[in-house]
Amino acid sequence: MRDTLRWAYALNQWNVRLDVFVRHEEQQRALKTVSACGFDTIELASGTGRWDNISRPEVILANHGSHEGFLDFLRRAKVQGVSSIFWDPQAPTEEEEGYAFRSTANPGDSDAIVEWAEPFVDFLAGVGGEQLVVRPVGSAWMSPPLDPDGIKVVGDVWNRIGELTSAAGLGLALHYDCLGAVHTQEELVGLLDATDPATVGLALDTAEFTIGGIDPVAFYREHADRVTHVHLKDTRYADAGEEYRMPGAESTMLKGGAGRRIERWFYELGTEGGLVDVTGFVAALRERDFPGWVVVESDHGGNPAELAMLNSWYLQRELGVPKS
Amino acid sequence: MAWTKWSYMDHWVTETPQGPQPPSFNRAYMDRYVKQLSALGFTGFDTFFFYLPLYAGMYGGVPGFERFLQDNGFEKITGIFSAYPSATRYTAPHVRETHDRIVADCTNTLRMCEGLTGVENFIVMPTSTYHQSEPVTDDTIKVVADLWNRVGRLTLEHGMTTTCHFEFWGAIRTREQVDTFLEYTDPELVHFFCDTAQHTIAGVDPVQLFRDHSDRCTGFHFKDTKNVDEHEAYRTPPDPELMAPEVTRWFYEMGEGGLVDFPALMKEIVASGYDGWLTVEHDKAELGGGSYAEATAVAKWYIDNVLAEAEAEARAELEAAR
Repeated sequence: MRDTLRWAYALNQWNVRLDVFVRHEEQQRALKTVSACGFDTIELASGTGRWDNISRPEVILANHGSHEGFLDFLRRAKVQGVSSIFWDPQAPTEEEEGYAFRSTANPGDSDAIVEWAEPFVDFLAGVGGEQLVVRPVGSAWMSPPLDPDGIKVVGDVWNRIGELTSAAGLGLALHYDCLGAVHTQEELVGLLDATDPATVGLALDTAEFTIGGIDPVAFYREHADRVTHVHLKDTRYADAGEEYRMPGAESTMLKGGAGRRIERWFYELGTEGGLVDVTGFVAALRERDFPGWVVVESDHGGNPAELAMLNSWYLQRELGVPKS
Repeated sequence: MAWTKWSYMDHWVTETPQGPQPPSFNRAYMDRYVKQLSALGFTGFDTFFFYLPLYAGMYGGVPGFERFLQDNGFEKITGIFSAYPSATRYTAPHVRETHDRIVADCTNTLRMCEGLTGVENFIVMPTSTYHQSEPVTDDTIKVVADLWNRVGRLTLEHGMTTTCHFEFWGAIRTREQVDTFLEYTDPELVHFFCDTAQHTIAGVDPVQLFRDHSDRCTGFHFKDTKNVDEHEAYRTPPDPELMAPEVTRWFYEMGEGGLVDFPALMKEIVASGYDGWLTVEHDKAELGGGSYAEATAVAKWYIDNVLAEAEAEARAELEAAR
């Protein structure tokens, strides 16, 4: 995409299960799809184990030999580089103490989580990426509500990791999501206040904000100095109140297992009935000359190639971004 | 400057609440389909005659559908595909008694195209299946040629070129048969449409075929195959495309290790001076778990990168030779 904003595309929608998106030729097809849609930079999402060979740093390196080897693999499909990688330390993985369940909200887990961040920092720096995008805290339903002291504990972990990323020349962006224990705007601002603006930024995901009841345009205008990364996607629904607190909200809420039984929450840009003011949000980014990456996501949606093309259509036809 | 006249042949399957269906499932699915092709940069659209009434219903007429295409960056509907793959007692190109009916059908299709910007190709399968038409004799080819000469005159009156798309399982399939057919048809009325995969499967080199008949060629289906028919699959009744025992999937998108030498064809096209539409076709891309959307994106990537380079090299060679 040829624009003053820097556009990237997230690969997460292709890697929807443990045992898919493993063969290199399948990954090449996804990369070519992204490239044909006009994106030459991608965001990776972390995973675990031998099949997450385009997700987990150690496994990527085992597959491609080196950072340069991985970049050569991307460039075969005319994808030039990696903007960022997403990591959720709350998600259990083989590599992190053998599926240890740890949380940034638990002070006793802090040292381990800081240590777990190191492969991501090293990998991202090695491939020339810019932002380590992280889930700052686990789901709200899994723990008691966070008070200011609890938010400070979370903030302290990310301040420590922010020092690591900063020393490696990287940014650290806390990615708010609609299920997280930091849920309200007040809590989110509290978390930002508990972190060092010099080393810790915010990844603003337009759909997650909207579902969580935070207006992404207004929030950006008010806190643009802290927003260092963007995930751009749409939603047709907002949490009606306390849906995010339902036990097992990852399934009961986001997969329609209970409550209103909404089976799909995230949509491509331009979707019918979309709640996100995408054009208004992008206009706000332009007003502030947003310097970070704007990563378009087709997260938990449908056929990833279809969604990538529809997102590309929206950028070209509705946002006026030339493809090349 | 890279080739700008790339069109897309209207095969597509997408997931719907009623299972995998063509996007003609409803208007919303059609809109999404067109937007996806638009995002990739296609500017021409080829479709089947049997979709025209559906699109007319969705968009207030076939011209209304074309306007929707144009609102999304397309130039126009570029080709209409008509076919009688199965010979019946009503319609069979190798049976002269059915020709009046076929001509009447073509007339109806042409009527449905009234008001369009300018469809260029009226693409036809010249014959039905081989097994229904055999023995294929010189006389068989003459009868078929007579039909398409009639249709060619008719479409010309409507500004369209009748152009024949040969199937590997059709009655006219070998190089000799294609040459004979082109000899028996009027070069002013009947043209040749080069489907790279179909010819390759039939054991005919599409690059050489185009080289030899470039003056008659008015279009291409750029699609690939990984198999030449080595088991007389073309004679498999009732259908060789999906029921051949030895090959379960014949067609693939470009760039997936198939047999067709697309860069060579691209260079030949440039060298010939051909300046018409080049069409991407994916036929049965869903077989084996494939996706039309991804196949289309991958094919366009191949066009934008590999074929663009081949085209540039051919143009440079032409320039150097001047």
